Amino acid sequence: MSANPQAIRAKFWTPGVLVMAFFMAAGAVTVLARFIGGIGYVSNLSTARPWGIWIGIDVASGVALAAGGFTTAFLAHILGRHYYEPVIRPALLTAMLGYTFVVLGLIVDIGRSWAIWKPLVYWNPHSVLFEVAMCVMFYLNVLYIEFLPILVEQFKGRVKMPGPLAALDGVAENLLGLADRILPRIMWFFIIAGVVLSCMHQSSLGSLMLIAPTKLHPLWYTPILPLLFLVSAVTVGYPMVVFETTLATASLKLDPEMKILSPLTRITIFLLGTYLALKIGDMVIRGTYVYLLDGTAQTNAFLVEMICGIIIPWIMLLSPAVRRSRRRLFIACALIVGGVLLNRINVFVVGYRPPVSENYYFPSISEMLITIGFISGLMFLYRFIATYLPVLNRPGQEVSA
Amino acid sequence: MIKRLSGAIAVLAALSAIGGLAAIFSGGPAAQDARAAAVKSEPAPAEPKTGTVWTAPDQEAAKKRAQEVVPFVDAVMEECQLCRQMRLREAGLGIKDITNSYFLLDSSIIKKSEDLYGPVRFKHTKHAAELKDCALCHHRRPLDAKARETTRCSACHQEPFRVNQPERIGLKAAYHQQCTGCHQEMKKGPTDCLGCHRKNVPDHKELVNLPEKPEPIQVTRECLRCHKAVGDDMLKTAHWLWKGPSPYTLNRSKHVNHGKATTSINNF
Amino acid sequence: MELNRRVFLKCIGAAGAGVAGAATDSTAVHAWESRAPADPLGCLVDLNRCIGCRKCEQACQTVNKLPQPEQPFDDLTVLDKKRRPDERAYTVVNRYYPGRRDERDQLVPTFVKVQCMHCQDPACASACIVGALTKKENGAVYYDISKCIGCRYCMVACPFEIPAYEYHNPVTPRVMKCTFCYERVENEGKLPGCVGICPVEAMTFGRRSNLLKIAKKRIESDPGSYVNHVYGEHEAGGTSWLYISGVPFDRVGFIQVPHRPLTELAETIQSSLFSYLWSPIVLFGMLGGIMRAFGGKSDRDINHKGEES
Repeated sequence: MSANPQAIRAKFWTPGVLVMAFFMAAGAVTVLARFIGGIGYVSNLSTARPWGIWIGIDVASGVALAAGGFTTAFLAHILGRHYYEPVIRPALLTAMLGYTFVVLGLIVDIGRSWAIWKPLVYWNPHSVLFEVAMCVMFYLNVLYIEFLPILVEQFKGRVKMPGPLAALDGVAENLLGLADRILPRIMWFFIIAGVVLSCMHQSSLGSLMLIAPTKLHPLWYTPILPLLFLVSAVTVGYPMVVFETTLATASLKLDPEMKILSPLTRITIFLLGTYLALKIGDMVIRGTYVYLLDGTAQTNAFLVEMICGIIIPWIMLLSPAVRRSRRRLFIACALIVGGVLLNRINVFVVGYRPPVSENYYFPSISEMLITIGFISGLMFLYRFIATYLPVLNRPGQEVSA
Repeated sequence: MIKRLSGAIAVLAALSAIGGLAAIFSGGPAAQDARAAAVKSEPAPAEPKTGTVWTAPDQEAAKKRAQEVVPFVDAVMEECQLCRQMRLREAGLGIKDITNSYFLLDSSIIKKSEDLYGPVRFKHTKHAAELKDCALCHHRRPLDAKARETTRCSACHQEPFRVNQPERIGLKAAYHQQCTGCHQEMKKGPTDCLGCHRKNVPDHKELVNLPEKPEPIQVTRECLRCHKAVGDDMLKTAHWLWKGPSPYTLNRSKHVNHGKATTSINNF
Repeated sequence: MELNRRVFLKCIGAAGAGVAGAATDSTAVHAWESRAPADPLGCLVDLNRCIGCRKCEQACQTVNKLPQPEQPFDDLTVLDKKRRPDERAYTVVNRYYPGRRDERDQLVPTFVKVQCMHCQDPACASACIVGALTKKENGAVYYDISKCIGCRYCMVACPFEIPAYEYHNPVTPRVMKCTFCYERVENEGKLPGCVGICPVEAMTFGRRSNLLKIAKKRIESDPGSYVNHVYGEHEAGGTSWLYISGVPFDRVGFIQVPHRPLTELAETIQSSLFSYLWSPIVLFGMLGGIMRAFGGKSDRDINHKGEES
């Protein structure tokens, strides 16, 4: 069982990819409309509801669900469990694409997209968002650097650019060689930095809402929100790896890697249990259980998040049979992923109730189109890169190793 | 819809030409004629000219008085309103002591901060005769024993927000609180802005934004930019909706068969 | 590989030293401190005085060169609906019928002017990613468009839901909120537009400390006409705009806001976790130590065949 990542070279334009391409095109048109007509032209955002699903899903959930990158890096590189090597690259790719699309989502969401560089110059150290932005920016670069060896591996000694660019082949070749020599020596720094940066901004993403105690529903507003965000991000890391590896291997008809995925989720039992205990303990201590049966949309969303997103998958994972079954493990992990996704949506969208104007918000079709377009784009790029770069494990070669 | 809208604009163009506005902005000969016609048809409600329009004999004196800023009275005597009423009655102060029966409530103190409305004409004697109680308005006297018992509002109330006199309201607020407060309490007298003030028409030179030689339609459009309601109202008048022959033109030398709502404009 | 390892160890050592230094520092992490100006200017709104004439809205529009409203300012039918300040109007007046009746049994209206409260410790300024919003010495919460990126976190943070956004401007939208006529007050020595025009002095302009005195004196000298509450004295840690009212505030559109500054919790957490970046450095050092201990060794828990290279 070794890491033997290879380019898949499967047929690229399958019907699924075409559907993704369609949604990407629809999203692109809507993004164009946003930059012509303004945010108000495509979204239902208002004075009372300045943040919608672009922040709740594209940014907050995008960051949370990209946690597989740093959790697997921690496991394999820092703890030295090289057994899990085969899932590192897919997780890294997911994280890299996830953060790339977080930034793209931000570019669409912020009013002055062209000014996105300004936090680099104008600092507000008191701002939680400033810290999140800095971490996300650095971490995105860390992810790109961590991904570089894959490019080196694929292209070193094989650079052949088309047409007049061929003149630059030598330069590119030299750069790749340089990267190949330098990267292994400094990679440890970036791996640790990646974990540190992730811990910082995953938790700070929760601190964002601490400034709005009157707006966020008490079921979610708690001083330990940053801790909950960090724990849930760490928790969702491995289930996310299982989720996307299963999806990718099923779609590309590869080995499901159950030998790796099953043990990977053992630690999730502990993490998810901790998360559950924290959530319930917090609820009991602050006495917010009084809201549980009041039947509002917020409460119901909270119940769904707790029961379907945490309790059910936790009980499922306790059974070794579930952890061994590809299908049932996938369901459990999908529930965890959905639970964390719902948690982020709840904190940023559903649980956000402005008390003065009590404004109702539901995302417009075009808002959803942009979000769906980004998700399709992410999956499209994932498949594209997995097809042409050595990311996914090819167990057929295992014998030779 | 579009036809109706453009029709409305056309009619308003004609209307504004009558109003003389087009003449001011376009200066075309036709518009000037229209202006002349307008002047002929109705007496101009503009500035009263001496000789032609009646003005109060003490108007000029009142104007002058309004511009005076009297020395500020810092210290006033503290007494309850009832004590003051009694004291003034015992002193025998009344209508006979009124030196100025008519005031223009206008002051450079107020004008410093705004100029939305014209001054209020305040009939001092009439109010005094109705109320028969000087202390209602002259609610305090200067602490200085040599000063007159009653003094004008602007002696004590001048600029607002004095640091050492935190509750001494400014002149404008004193007028408004005193007048509207009393009018409300007595259920008598106006309590809205236009009940006492004439609105100052803002300087349209800065508001109007037209090219050098505007088309009539441009002028109308520019007027409608702010006075949209006037345009909307116009469309609901008989003037605009009138159809068929007019009863007023039947059997006259100039007989008109079509109303405005059909084909023609300005056919009266 | 040898060099690699040596560099690595050196860095870990440095990180360890940093950890030690930061740890001593972190014990001295300061308690949260307000950054509010000592005695800012402010405005006391007396709801008993306001007559709902909307002149303040008009002055605000003129002074700040805001767009003309759809209905003119002297059209008081606008008051039939509750409005909020938006990207076209920094301030609005709303009419409430809180239940008081006059001697003819008619409901008596109470008018409430709404605008930015100019908090002493503004959540928006603490939240702003680039520091485009700042609390000025004279009390104004000032917005610097040249820094803004349009993230709208200020709007999320504001407990009074005041900042509005030009959602329909595709390229250069602005956050729109009352400026307390900052330039006019600071540089020209004039009153804010709304204050200057108010015909009945419903707004009293002055130092916040004086305004509080005036407010309490007014309540004290006429307790029958006022509820004993100066809204803004403690709300959100104190605001530069203060309100006194003859009817309970919750009946005329005021919400309950915590009395501690909203910035306190988030800023305390942020500064105790990240001052001098001590926690990232500690974490880096710890992870480095773990990596050194386990990272180089072969996998221990499950039998495996290969290594990465």
